Amino acid sequence: MAAPNEDNLSSHSQLSSQFFGELLDSIIVDVASECHRIARLGLDRSLDDEEEELRLSAQARARVADPSSSGETTSKYVLDIFGQTHPPVANEIFDCMNCGRSIMAGRFAPHLEKCMGKGRKARLKATRSSTAAQNRYSRGNPLSNHSPSSNSNSMNRLSNGTSHVAGYEYSNGTIEEP
Amino acid sequence: MRSSVKRPPTPDAEEEEQDREPTLQEIINIKLIESGEKERLKELLRERLVECGWKDEMKALCRAFARKRGRNNVTVDDLVHVITPKGRGSIHS
Repeated sequence: MAAPNEDNLSSHSQLSSQFFGELLDSIIVDVASECHRIARLGLDRSLDDEEEELRLSAQARARVADPSSSGETTSKYVLDIFGQTHPPVANEIFDCMNCGRSIMAGRFAPHLEKCMGKGRKARLKATRSSTAAQNRYSRGNPLSNHSPSSNSNSMNRLSNGTSHVAGYEYSNGTIEEP
Repeated sequence: MRSSVKRPPTPDAEEEEQDREPTLQEIINIKLIESGEKERLKELLRERLVECGWKDEMKALCRAFARKRGRNNVTVDDLVHVITPKGRGSIHS
């Protein structure tokens, strides 16, 4: 192995490049292994995946926004993005803090209307106990064309009935619910 | 018999012939490993490769390949073969 320097140099460079190649191969394997892991575990959100997800989410959005397929709010089987179904009316039950009755969450707002005075019957409750001041207020209703009568109840019923027929008839139906 | 730990290197005919006796290269290799120098060199090389973006290029190649093949159908071997030609080639440019 006692070769002259020049030979040593060339064989050295050859050896070193060989050695370098080996080192590089080893590193290549490491990188490949790392990428393999990422690929298998799905850690790398590649563009195609993102496009796929965008497409799927757009689909889902279209399905949600489309009223015909979901059957509006009456369908109980519309899935949200988590795959959960929700009833069209929230059905948690709790107690009204005003009157103390058990109320369903989805019916709470209309209940409060009646309970606290916005509603027809609630206002009736108030007017029955109060004086003509309330009557004057209800007679001042712009849609009311009737002359003041002694029977304020029926008058209120009529004037308010014309203006709020849809809401009150509907909600009156629920007032009678147990 | 080759040591099982040794990963098959790139086809090198000389190496196979010289297997009967420890070649200079092997001696050097062993010396380097023993002294820990090889590890140091490897880390140095790794660092350089990251710096110059080589590693990212390789990862991009792998990603593209995995996307094409379907990510669950890829093997480490596939990726090695994907990377090696470009990987080795781009170094000496």
